[in-house]
Amino acid sequence: MEGFTVWFTGLPSSGKSTLAGLLSDALRRRGLAVELLDGDEVRTVLTRGLGFSREDRDENIQRIAWVAKVLTRNGVVAITAAISPYRAARDHARQAIGRFVEVYVACPVEVCIQRDVKGLYARALRGEIEQFTGVSDPYEEPLQPEVVVRTDVESPEESLQRIVGSLESGGFLAPGMTNVRVPTYLVEQLRRVWGDGAFEARLGEALAAQAAAVEEPLHEAEREEVLARLRSLGYVD
Amino acid sequence: MRLLVIGLDCVPPEFVFERFAMPHLRALMRRGSYGPLESVVPPITVPAWACMMTGRDPGALGIYGFRNRQDYTYEGLGIANSTSVREPAIWDRLSATGRQVILVGVPPSFPPRPVNGVMVSCFLTPSAKSEYTHPATLKPELEARFGEYLFDVADFRTDDKAALLRRVFAVSEQKFAIVRHLMTTRPWDFCMFVDMGPDRLHHGFWKYWDRAHVKHEPGNPFLRAFPEYYAYLDEQIGALLEVVGDDVAVLVVSDHGAKRMDGAICVNEWLRREGYLTLRNPPQGIQRLAPSMVDWAKTVAWGEGGYYSRIVLNVKGREPEGIVDGGAYERLRDELIQGLERLGDEQGRPIGTRVYRPEELYPVRRNIPPDLITIFGDLSWRSAGSVGFEQVWTHENDTGPDDANHAQYGMFAAAGLPLPPGELSGMRLLDVAPLLSRFFGLNGAE
Repeated sequence: MEGFTVWFTGLPSSGKSTLAGLLSDALRRRGLAVELLDGDEVRTVLTRGLGFSREDRDENIQRIAWVAKVLTRNGVVAITAAISPYRAARDHARQAIGRFVEVYVACPVEVCIQRDVKGLYARALRGEIEQFTGVSDPYEEPLQPEVVVRTDVESPEESLQRIVGSLESGGFLAPGMTNVRVPTYLVEQLRRVWGDGAFEARLGEALAAQAAAVEEPLHEAEREEVLARLRSLGYVD
Repeated sequence: MRLLVIGLDCVPPEFVFERFAMPHLRALMRRGSYGPLESVVPPITVPAWACMMTGRDPGALGIYGFRNRQDYTYEGLGIANSTSVREPAIWDRLSATGRQVILVGVPPSFPPRPVNGVMVSCFLTPSAKSEYTHPATLKPELEARFGEYLFDVADFRTDDKAALLRRVFAVSEQKFAIVRHLMTTRPWDFCMFVDMGPDRLHHGFWKYWDRAHVKHEPGNPFLRAFPEYYAYLDEQIGALLEVVGDDVAVLVVSDHGAKRMDGAICVNEWLRREGYLTLRNPPQGIQRLAPSMVDWAKTVAWGEGGYYSRIVLNVKGREPEGIVDGGAYERLRDELIQGLERLGDEQGRPIGTRVYRPEELYPVRRNIPPDLITIFGDLSWRSAGSVGFEQVWTHENDTGPDDANHAQYGMFAAAGLPLPPGELSGMRLLDVAPLLSRFFGLNGAE
């Protein structure tokens, strides 16, 4: 499996972390090695001490890109979820990483302000935070992102589905394996039995359980049985 | 657009193209293409079928044989299974695009993976008690119709060769019957199965048929076992082709060939004698090498037995009691390569051993590759991993009698696939997945 980087970009509170988390779970269920580099978390370790000036923001993105590059070339799916407001810095990351999928999490700033997950817009609008993207610092929209999701009009599941679809059609994700299509009649039946609300979660649990079960597919006694046969057949000694 | 793949484990091109009468296969060859198929290194069932159906080499799959190192300890060998294959096989990609598949016995396929269709697992299934089908409801259906699933030839090392031969036929017969049943009761776009019968026949009966084999007994009762089995195989192929008709594309293919085995090189005996491997105590008779027998503080390298040999260096900072300094690693590998390639037969005649560094064979090496991969005597010799032999060469397999080894070239015969007609040379096992992807119009295949 070749690694790749999924680079989420968008305004604060646009839904990057939510989608990155959902994508991370979905890919792990497919048995992929995934590392999520969330912007807020990264700033507490990898880029601690950096501020929000243009230089510092560029440095922040450069460091995240470097880690994503290393993960990617080692067969890991790196998912980054940082505002990454400047086009040049993102393009630089794209060039450095190679296998790169840019996901623009589009959401009007008014909606982001309404959401204001961390209360930062309110503080920025009161002038308590300088250089706050979308308020007092620019956000440069991607010109040709691989995926654009509209979190003001789509549900997170819809956005996720489009991201995964794009990864598949772009050849980044191997279709198949646990990605077996569930027949429509079965989906309908399960929705009836489980109820609409629980359907996604329970299907997710079932797939995760299956992924966990295949980690150790043979019990000790079964392993010995197979090994004895391989010995008798001359494959191993 | 439908394709039937008939996998015949271990069938060499010369048997089916020249040696044995196979009218149904010949008819298929006449309406399509055929030729030798160069296998991967190592040319072994696992990983060869997985390489063929994913289009990835053993390094990219991280599967170097039936058993693979799980970690750098001396005991951490795991057995490859269906979950070891982390790249999508052709049926995964077809499933994802809504095509229906039927899969029976394609190694490694235990535990069975969900596909858009049905899957019956391979000879690596622990036992008939295991859940060996997808969906699970297929198992009782098959058992009601065919009795206990014969995922392999049981009791392979028996002295009762007549009974063994009957079991080889029975395994093939049931495999073809199951496939015919599934093909006629399920919708399908892609149907593939692998019959292990030819492989078991070769390993169990080669000396009875091949007059040039050192252990051939003239007038033995199994002289006709090979031609009779191949005639039977051809009948079975004919019956299947009749079911599918001419509008379905067909690929008959093997994962590697077979050849006479001249003997075994006792790789750990050789390493001992050359001072690379030290045991705590001299072996009491012929014994399988166990990690507890080795004086690791004085051991540079050890080897695995099998149809080829994997050699592992005891590297400082990597293995628990490693002694090989990083700086000496390449020099030691060079030394071992020279020594093993120089080693001839008992009379000192060259046998043409090739020792590869994994990086020479595979651009990408996932999981833990061995440090060296040794093909003794162009596969006319196998590797015996046990110790306690009186010399470095033996003609008795340390796991029991075995008369054949694998050969680098398998075969293919195809009709309806996008290939030039007639005899083709230069086809490789790794070309198969891209070919099938082209046939089905799957993108990003190559």
